[in-house]
Amino acid sequence: MASAPRSEIHTTVPALSPERPVIWPPRGRTTLSNGLEVVLVESHTIPKFTGQLFFRSGNAVVAAKAPGIADMTATMVRTGTTARASRQIEEDLRRMGADLSSGAGADTSVVSFAGLVDFSNGLLRLVAELTQQASFPADEFERERRQLVEGLRIERATSGFLASERMRKVLFGAHPYGAISPTEAQVESYRLDQLQDFYRQYYRPGNALLVMVGDFSPQAMLAQVEQVFGSWAAGKVDEAPNPALPELYGRRVYLVHLPDAVQAQIVVGNRAITRKHPDWLRLTLANSIYGGAFNSRLVMNIREQKGYTYSPRSGVHPLRQHGYFSISAAVRNDVVAATLSEMFYEVDRMRSTPVGEEELADARNYLTGLFSLGLATQDGLAGQLATSTLERLPEDYLETYRERILALTAADVLDAAQKYFDSANAQIVVVGDRPQLETQAALFGKMEVYDAQGEPM
Amino acid sequence: MTQLNIPIESMSLPNGLRVVVSPDRAAPVATVGVYYNIGFRIEPRGRSGFAHLFEHMMFQGSANAGKMVHIKLINSSGGVLNGSTHYDVTNYYESVPSNALERVLWLEADRMRALKVDDENLRNQRDVVKEEVRVNVLNQPYGGFPWLDLPPIAYRNWSNAHNFYGDFDDLDAATLDDVQKFFKTYYAPSNAVLLILGDVDVDEGFKLAERYFAGIPSGPQPAPADIDEPPQIDERRGVVEEKFGTLPGIAVGYPAPRRLTPDWCAAAMLDRALHGGRAGRVYRSLVLEQQIAVDAEGGIHYPVGDLFDYNGPTLMVTRLLHKPEYSADQTIAAYDQILDEMKEKGITSEELEPIKVKFRSNYFSMLEGGHGASIPRYGLMHLLACFTLFDNDPHLVNSILDGFMEVTPDAVQSVARKILRRPNRSLVVRQPAKKEAA
Repeated sequence: MASAPRSEIHTTVPALSPERPVIWPPRGRTTLSNGLEVVLVESHTIPKFTGQLFFRSGNAVVAAKAPGIADMTATMVRTGTTARASRQIEEDLRRMGADLSSGAGADTSVVSFAGLVDFSNGLLRLVAELTQQASFPADEFERERRQLVEGLRIERATSGFLASERMRKVLFGAHPYGAISPTEAQVESYRLDQLQDFYRQYYRPGNALLVMVGDFSPQAMLAQVEQVFGSWAAGKVDEAPNPALPELYGRRVYLVHLPDAVQAQIVVGNRAITRKHPDWLRLTLANSIYGGAFNSRLVMNIREQKGYTYSPRSGVHPLRQHGYFSISAAVRNDVVAATLSEMFYEVDRMRSTPVGEEELADARNYLTGLFSLGLATQDGLAGQLATSTLERLPEDYLETYRERILALTAADVLDAAQKYFDSANAQIVVVGDRPQLETQAALFGKMEVYDAQGEPM
Repeated sequence: MTQLNIPIESMSLPNGLRVVVSPDRAAPVATVGVYYNIGFRIEPRGRSGFAHLFEHMMFQGSANAGKMVHIKLINSSGGVLNGSTHYDVTNYYESVPSNALERVLWLEADRMRALKVDDENLRNQRDVVKEEVRVNVLNQPYGGFPWLDLPPIAYRNWSNAHNFYGDFDDLDAATLDDVQKFFKTYYAPSNAVLLILGDVDVDEGFKLAERYFAGIPSGPQPAPADIDEPPQIDERRGVVEEKFGTLPGIAVGYPAPRRLTPDWCAAAMLDRALHGGRAGRVYRSLVLEQQIAVDAEGGIHYPVGDLFDYNGPTLMVTRLLHKPEYSADQTIAAYDQILDEMKEKGITSEELEPIKVKFRSNYFSMLEGGHGASIPRYGLMHLLACFTLFDNDPHLVNSILDGFMEVTPDAVQSVARKILRRPNRSLVVRQPAKKEAA
């Protein structure tokens, strides 16, 4: 066929050409004799490598004793070892062209690192030292404690933080997932021996996963890993508690008063599922259509049509034991009620009407394309591998992800929306200047009001 | 040391559009960028925030792709897209599975050819932008600190000194006529560069660029704007109230050298010696050792730009949050001592060489990503664009590191003495508002 005349070239959207297959880089997966799981993948985009050493224990496992102590432990491991003082550690990292960070969430603790491949052995040795021989210097501990307290005070003035904090408390109550950060008083009561106990018990190879991606040969890298981590003594680790969750009946509104706020932060949420649940991909697709992409219904409605907000989105959040779904937007003060009405209108539309074929196909393509983009960088690849391995998903999870997404139907989306967009029992958090918001917020359910410290008003 | 050898081919179309292709077929994805040589520095007077508002309008519809068509076509092809406004450039970019490359180029060409927007689109995006300013600045602890605080203190030329995000009155005053005029003035093909990176070969990239962009009429090249600053003879200071945060903040800026000069390379090393993370002198001294501050960061053209993406006056900035038990004066005195020591004693090669290793390592990471995991090669695209628009040489991406690696300890000390002068600097204090007792 002759090519189109010039004028048509400019007026007609070009068709997609045939897709080139995603080619998976060679990867090695093995478990050392002390129990350390290792995943190594080649990626030669730049002469660097990136790694994450995970421990499958985070703040949840110690929430009853000292909330946040896993995070403080992770913070402290880079401040001193039996062989190196804090300043030495920082200077050695710089000498190797390396970045390193450490922290803990509810379910895991992690040391993340990246550096030039020329220095891979030195960096691995340093990571091994931090995770096996941390010395927890008392003066560094007091400095970190003060920095954490000052950070918490600033978070208490941040509407996004206050909204997440309240939502997690509402959805998970006394379960460890109910708190996203410790209180100032809790931090003040931390003791070094609590950190050391956590470190001794959970920083163990049998509890650990090492993922590395980069410009190396997996075989040669595995030999280095065995040499550096092979002698680490195994240990036995316990599971996090899983206490009962609060019963949630009917819509409730939680207004958090942040004086002088010039905008309202809205979050609507309900409990959902973990990544291991058979409905996970259905829910992921439903979320993408609802508010998980730029081209989604929520964004089109409250941003591109109505101009209520810059930042609307919805998300599915998998934790190890539970998960939740949330819808959020920071909106101008006078459209809080209007925004909530539109959020629920779009939720109910997802729950009542099957999505059309074109919108469905667009959303499936979006998710599979995004997945391919995520494999094109060392960090992206490491992230995908870490998720699937940490959660102990099936061995072929990543390889089959695209075809499983492409097989989903409008009935799958409807089913997921009906099950997991729990419109009738949605919990509503609004953070902002109370006098400007409370009449609007109260329209949506029985309301409780809190101050920025979390105390009822 | 690894010598960089990134494949780069460039050409110009008869309408003046420059095209740069950098192929890498390893993964079946492509990143496309169109950069216009216009940033928020030279938006019209009385229209602060307009360059950024205009960037939003570029997503509102073009000749053959109406409102929401851009976003829908890219997302439904499995891709992501965005745009951003900087001091001296505005960019629009997409990352897609490579089978959608042609579609992306069609869309970018369509909006370079003609913007098709109406009053309702403008009203809508004005509202969206106001919420963007609220969520990022007005309703955030330390919002705009110091990127919106320092320019009005440091500069005398309105272009450099005004509110880049926009006063709401100015945003309200913007008209559709302003939008079309701005488009005509600054969005001509000769004021732009098209970048195609990833899964494409050079001939194919050039052929597609020709097919979709060559027919766009050329326009007059905008007159160069006056962004010069009169010489500064005294230290400049200001105070800004911090509405939400509990700690006082201090930011200090010193004029940074012009790009691609030997002083620029030396200043980059000086900057990393001072601000290079926890091993940098400022963080180590003020946060880790003296424990006056709880946070310290900084950089050249920090925090909304980097060493490579400015083409006019900018600052090397230090940003501190300090403990309330120390006064601003005490904190500044401790900070000055760090700079004085650098000026007096300089730096040893034992300290400088590791800084170079880290700089090189950071540069590689920037090339590969630099913008989250979903825009592969954003950093490479950004560098290629700036080197093309500002320096007319995209190949600098492969050679620019050499100048930094050759910096000597003497050069660092000498540039420190030259730029870290008190009469030369600007300083802002973020003072937490007095709260009534609860």
